[in-house]
Amino acid sequence: MKDGRLEERDTTMQDTKIKASNVQVYYGDNHAIKDVDVEIKDKTVTAFIGPSGCGKSTFLRCLNRMNDTIDVARIEGKILIDDEDIYDRKVDPVQLRAKVGMVFQKPNPFPKSIYDNVAYGPKIHGLAKNKADLDDIVENALRRGAIWDEVKDRLHAPGTGLSGGQQQRLCIARAVATEPEILLMDEPCSALDPIATDQVENLIHELRENYSVVIVTHSMQQAARVSQKTAFFHLGNLVEYGTTDQIFQNPHDSRTESYITGRIG
Amino acid sequence: MSLIWLFAILLALAVAGYWMTRRRAMTSAGGDVRKLHSLPNYYGMNAAMLSLAPALIVLFVWLLAQPLLVDATVTRMIPDEAIPDASNRGLVMSDVRRVSNGLDALVDAGRMSAQEARDLSTDSDDIRASMAEVGVALGSDVRPEVLRAAQRYRLLTGRGDLARNVIVVLIALAGAGLAYRRTTHEFRARNAVERGMSLLLLGAASIAILTTIGIVLSMLTETGRFFSQYPWTEFFFSTNWQPRFGGGSDLGFLPLLWGTLYISIIALIVAVPVGLFSAIYLSEYATGRIRAVAKPMIEILAGIPTIVYGLFALITVGPLLRDWFAQPLGLGNSGSSVMTAGLVMGIMLIPFVSSLSDDIINAVPQSLRDGSFGLGATKSETIRQVILPAALPGIVGAVLLAASRAIGETMIVVLGAGASARMDLNPFEAMTTITVKIVSQLTGDTDFNSPETLVAFALGLTLFVLTLGLNVFALYIVRRYREQYE
Ligand SMILES: Nc1ncnc2c1ncn2[C@@H]1O[C@H](COP(=O)(O)OP(=O)(O)OP(=O)(O)O)[C@@H](O)[C@H]1O
Ligand SMILES: [Mg+2]
Repeated sequence: MKDGRLEERDTTMQDTKIKASNVQVYYGDNHAIKDVDVEIKDKTVTAFIGPSGCGKSTFLRCLNRMNDTIDVARIEGKILIDDEDIYDRKVDPVQLRAKVGMVFQKPNPFPKSIYDNVAYGPKIHGLAKNKADLDDIVENALRRGAIWDEVKDRLHAPGTGLSGGQQQRLCIARAVATEPEILLMDEPCSALDPIATDQVENLIHELRENYSVVIVTHSMQQAARVSQKTAFFHLGNLVEYGTTDQIFQNPHDSRTESYITGRIG
Repeated sequence: MSLIWLFAILLALAVAGYWMTRRRAMTSAGGDVRKLHSLPNYYGMNAAMLSLAPALIVLFVWLLAQPLLVDATVTRMIPDEAIPDASNRGLVMSDVRRVSNGLDALVDAGRMSAQEARDLSTDSDDIRASMAEVGVALGSDVRPEVLRAAQRYRLLTGRGDLARNVIVVLIALAGAGLAYRRTTHEFRARNAVERGMSLLLLGAASIAILTTIGIVLSMLTETGRFFSQYPWTEFFFSTNWQPRFGGGSDLGFLPLLWGTLYISIIALIVAVPVGLFSAIYLSEYATGRIRAVAKPMIEILAGIPTIVYGLFALITVGPLLRDWFAQPLGLGNSGSSVMTAGLVMGIMLIPFVSSLSDDIINAVPQSLRDGSFGLGATKSETIRQVILPAALPGIVGAVLLAASRAIGETMIVVLGAGASARMDLNPFEAMTTITVKIVSQLTGDTDFNSPETLVAFALGLTLFVLTLGLNVFALYIVRRYREQYE
């Protein structure tokens, strides 16, 4: 908590990276996100917490327009990234997603080799000048995903043959390899053991130096450890948003307090 | 007692066994279901299974074996001299069976007592006339040795049937009794039923396998007869197909193989890209509304009988290709051609490839698409690099199924490509395929002893080997791919 407060001081200096105002999401008739306003800072880790089904993943998916792929989903309101409305007609969602990377709640490695899984993004976006360069990018990404040591001898084995936790870290490495400016992580540690969790948290700390990271988590401890800002969602509403210290030590809303002390959830 | 009654009795026994065993299980547990190893139904099912299954198996074997045994015994009663010159033993035996049936009919109709039927002789009565009255028509008067054989036949069959019924019912009783005795609250009836189920499924699977083996064996024997009358080197290596029913035919199968492969390849060149692309469009790009209209439309194509495609080839495509391509290019002026049949067959196969691939592509999990889009890939990049590789084994399977259909197709070829066996590179020339020639060798008044008809079996076997090879190849590809990725 102590260095959390230190970091909090310098977050206040950062610019706003994402600014969402008045966001509504409907799945058919189901109003899943209601009136959400939030400003996410650059070079900051923001945690989304809240009970299951409250709309954390849904809101996260709005930030890189992944909800476009769901037929029944409808989004209203405004989301600006670097002062640009991402739901504007001019914006190409494909380009946007290269800039706003995502790690999904369920690990979803491609049925390709481990190497090709990680090389997929860099190849598509032409990030590597040559084969050696690509090898470096892949190795680097796997290291940051805290899985390099486990897979370095079988880079050409299928990614689907890894264990659940290894697959999740592979997906993290895959997302990091495209060098996004914003990384959205939907419960990245839900399938990981404490050691791997620790490594992923280290990665998040490291990413914060250059990127903005949004992480959904069900672990209060994790939110407290890695984030500087925390948003608490409940039944589709953003109930409270503030610095992590404030949310955990001095919540203003009674629902927030009940949730973090384990009374609702 | 007829078979129906026997079945009814077996069924009744099974049902009775079910309820009695079930009750016994409940009693042995003192009425408390939780003390039983398995649910009460399982005890009952075990009894029904044990009483029905062995009895039915014995019944089945008996039904197959008894006529053979009786025939073998009775046929010894007919001396070689008693067989007329124009006839043979088989025909005499079928007379014997018919007379025996006639005697049964007479007894059933009440015109004769069982004793009279046994003592009947050709001297005293006009058997042919009285049998005609009960609806059994005989070709000639009954000769004494045939009547005696028929009486014997009837006697043996009657005894056999009686023994069969008794034995089968006893077996059913024994099975149910065994299950009943074994039933205590500790007996693992659930596991026993499970084993029974797996045997049942094994039985079903072996029927399919045994039928295949049977078909192959019969093809093999006929093919063997063909090759004993016609040199195999000629069949496999001669490029000339000219059957003459007077004898002295040339039966080289290479022109037919060439025609088959040529037409199938053209058909696949049409069907695979079009079918696959339309599947990709439908599953990845089309909106719900377009999909709802387009998918049934494409599937209607699959419901059109091939003879209709054949007419389309004959009347529309053939003349069109001749007038607009073959003649202007100086490639002949035949209305029926490989190209015609290939194109039309390709159209026939489009819905086949498309709907199979569509199902396969839809089965690729959405999470893989999300993963790829989430990395900033476009739709077509996602399709090419993630979805198609993931769906590849299934798509290869679909294409090979389509190839098998193309190779086996007959109607479109007859009407579209003609029936002349020829080896030519020009796709606007009339050629023909193996299936067409099988049909034409077997239609008409045929004698199944000449190489001209027997060649059909050799051709059929070749076709079988061809499609088998294709399937093995498909499996090989699919497995290789799996090893790499899953
Ligand atoms: N694809 C979808 N189609 C229809 N409704 C959906 C879809 N995805 C989510 N929902 C609905 O939206 C609401 C919010 O779901 P969401 O997945 O955002 O919850 P969450 O906060 O991420 O929960 P969890 O912590 O369990 O992951 C739920 O009521 C859910 O039923
Ligand atoms: Mg979620």
